[in-house]
Amino acid sequence: MPTSGGERIKASAFIPVSTAVILLVGSTTLFFVFTCPWLAVTVSIYVPPCSAILFFFVLANFTMATFMDAGVLPMANEDEDKDDDFHAPLYKNVEVKGVQVRMKWCASCHFYRPPRCSHCSVCDHCVQDFDHHCPWVNNCIGRRNYRYFFLFLLSLTLHMVGVFLGGLLYILHHTEDLWKLHCTVTLVVMSVSALFFIPVLGLTGFHFYLVFRGRTTNEQVTGKFQGGVNPFTRGCCGNLEYLICSPISPKYTERLIKKSTVRVMPPFLRPETDRQIPTLKVGDNGLNRHDVQNKVSLSPPNTPGSHSVSPEHILARVDKQLAIPPGPTSTPLQLNSLTLNSRSLTLKHAYRHGNKPPALHPEGPTSRQLSPGVFPLHDPLSSRCSLSYDSLVNSADPHYPAQRGAPPLHYHPRFMTLGPDSSVLQRPPPHAYSPVDLTPQALIHMEASPVRYDNLSKTIMASIQERREMEERDNVLRMQARNQGLYSCPDMGVYDIPSRRSLPTDSMRLPGSRGPTPPAYGSREFMMSTGILGYGGTRSPLSSASSSSLSRAPRTSSSPPQSSSSLQSKARSPSPAYLPPDRHASPSSSSSTLPRTSSSSSATAQYVHPKRPSLTYPGKEGKDSAPLGAAK
Amino acid sequence: MPPPPQFPFHNLQELRHSASLATKVFIQRDYSEGTVCRFQTKFPSELDSRIERTLLEDTVKTLNTYYAEAEKMGGQSYMEGCLACATAYIIFLCMETHYEKVLKKISGYIQEQNEKIYAPRGLLLTDPIERGMRVMEVSVFEDRGSSGSSLSSSATSGGSAQR
Repeated sequence: MPTSGGERIKASAFIPVSTAVILLVGSTTLFFVFTCPWLAVTVSIYVPPCSAILFFFVLANFTMATFMDAGVLPMANEDEDKDDDFHAPLYKNVEVKGVQVRMKWCASCHFYRPPRCSHCSVCDHCVQDFDHHCPWVNNCIGRRNYRYFFLFLLSLTLHMVGVFLGGLLYILHHTEDLWKLHCTVTLVVMSVSALFFIPVLGLTGFHFYLVFRGRTTNEQVTGKFQGGVNPFTRGCCGNLEYLICSPISPKYTERLIKKSTVRVMPPFLRPETDRQIPTLKVGDNGLNRHDVQNKVSLSPPNTPGSHSVSPEHILARVDKQLAIPPGPTSTPLQLNSLTLNSRSLTLKHAYRHGNKPPALHPEGPTSRQLSPGVFPLHDPLSSRCSLSYDSLVNSADPHYPAQRGAPPLHYHPRFMTLGPDSSVLQRPPPHAYSPVDLTPQALIHMEASPVRYDNLSKTIMASIQERREMEERDNVLRMQARNQGLYSCPDMGVYDIPSRRSLPTDSMRLPGSRGPTPPAYGSREFMMSTGILGYGGTRSPLSSASSSSLSRAPRTSSSPPQSSSSLQSKARSPSPAYLPPDRHASPSSSSSTLPRTSSSSSATAQYVHPKRPSLTYPGKEGKDSAPLGAAK
Repeated sequence: MPPPPQFPFHNLQELRHSASLATKVFIQRDYSEGTVCRFQTKFPSELDSRIERTLLEDTVKTLNTYYAEAEKMGGQSYMEGCLACATAYIIFLCMETHYEKVLKKISGYIQEQNEKIYAPRGLLLTDPIERGMRVMEVSVFEDRGSSGSSLSSSATSGGSAQR
């Protein structure tokens, strides 16, 4: 005997189907044993074989309807919805034959349900062309098995008619022996068939109507096409033809998937030149040599004569340039080779001078064409800056040697202080996490820079410096505001560590969320990040504060309780696909997608359409709506 | 003297010739003609720098043709249905349906396309059937040796370069 609740539910689900099987098989057997022989003799010898064939047909369709996969759509992989963050809408519109159809986000299966697809709360999966969940076969009826279900109903109706009529004939000819065994049994069989004939006939008629109109039970019940045009109908004859002749679509679950034997190995072809992308080779002397064509054209290095710009400003420019990491937001072509050159060079020189190696940090797998020596600039602010400064690549002013003996500059602009005259005051931080060596040797190597600073005036550089400062300040303020509770920012996804996919595209990560955090990070940022992590552990603030009214919930556990999904399916019912009134219900529909199923249940409960409970289907199918909610 | 690498040593050769999965691009279904299986031929912008537009569009169009053939309601599907009915569907245990046959062809085509066109460009198409025919997944790979996408590989290659 089942002991747990779940097992009890499962066992009770088999009661209707067992009853159906017993009644069908039992009654028919009794008919064949007690009534058919007389019919064969009296009416025709072909009566038993025809009845047998028909009964066999009923059984076959019943078996197919029971055991055939209805068209279950497998759950989406984790990485499939990584593009859709918390603010992706609950509904997505798509045009089908000129008619706007709404695709709803399925919180259980993690994809937007294709048109006509619906989530079965009993079976807890999405089914293509979902019709209904039939308790009498204990299976969903959908795209793949609707034909068998329809044929089952049709054949069962005919079979019941045949059994009833045969029994009636027998009784009419044996009125004097009504209490004999044969008569009694025949009477019992007749009453069973008569009892169930009305519902079965009603259901068959209903499905004939649905086929003619090109609708599913779900669509009929929810009133989707009541006022509008049904884009899925192919006309009466076309629908019948589709019902009978269409090929059986394949099963999606439990497929034997051949492992791909294709090996993907660099170097990769690219469309512009169709040449191989040369891999960055770090040579013996640390110089990066590569021939990648990039947007920055090579031009001869600065001549010694051009020193219209003061060394301090040049250093400021260099620092700015180096402070902006080519994060994953940049495209590979924007990353010019020279930026990489400078970084790898300085890394090399940093090593040479005995500095500790910079804490290398994975910039994310989406960072492209970064040399192994690229600095892990842990500056989320700068990562968001545009790379407009890229053209201001390290200058090649040979007067840099004037800075000889100065302590090495570092990339982090926050640690730089600017003097009143916009000159850069170099102050080495206690633990520079990315020390840049601007010693003469390094700077001389930078002479190979293609960009000339000859024409840049002092005032322009000063203004650039000021603008940079302002941007920095803005970014800091924004960061603070963000961390204080604007949960609707996409960065929040960063903190939701457990649910992050293995392939993050978001380059905006606070240091707190990364593994190797440099110890000397600004204390304010560290505080903020740890504070946020505290929030990030639970998802409730994120979801409750989601400002978008139609935003869907983040990925939750893989098996949500059936009650929430059933209520969600009910909540779907009152809204026709094309009518705006649903928008009024949007606040509650947004709450219906909360990851907390209890809250979602309570939210959607308010919004169950009054029409739903009062629907009575003709025949057995009337009981189908009840199991949707009740069979929990 | 550079500090000794703190990470297990990897053969640089091995590193240089490996690719890591960077991102996945999804080509969605085109429902403009109903629930028939069709994929959008719109070229995803993320692949702009990875593959020529025409190549991907051709692949998608060919796949759409295959799917249309699979779902075609013609004589063959009708005969299949009648035969199945006549044998009380026992024929499904022995015979492969027309759709399944076309799916096999599709699978072979995708494999061939991957080998010839996509893998050399660091891309990989996934058969849509694995995703329930909802999306076509294009996996984008990056050269792990140059992307520095993993801590150990970037550090190790940096460290080994110093040797």
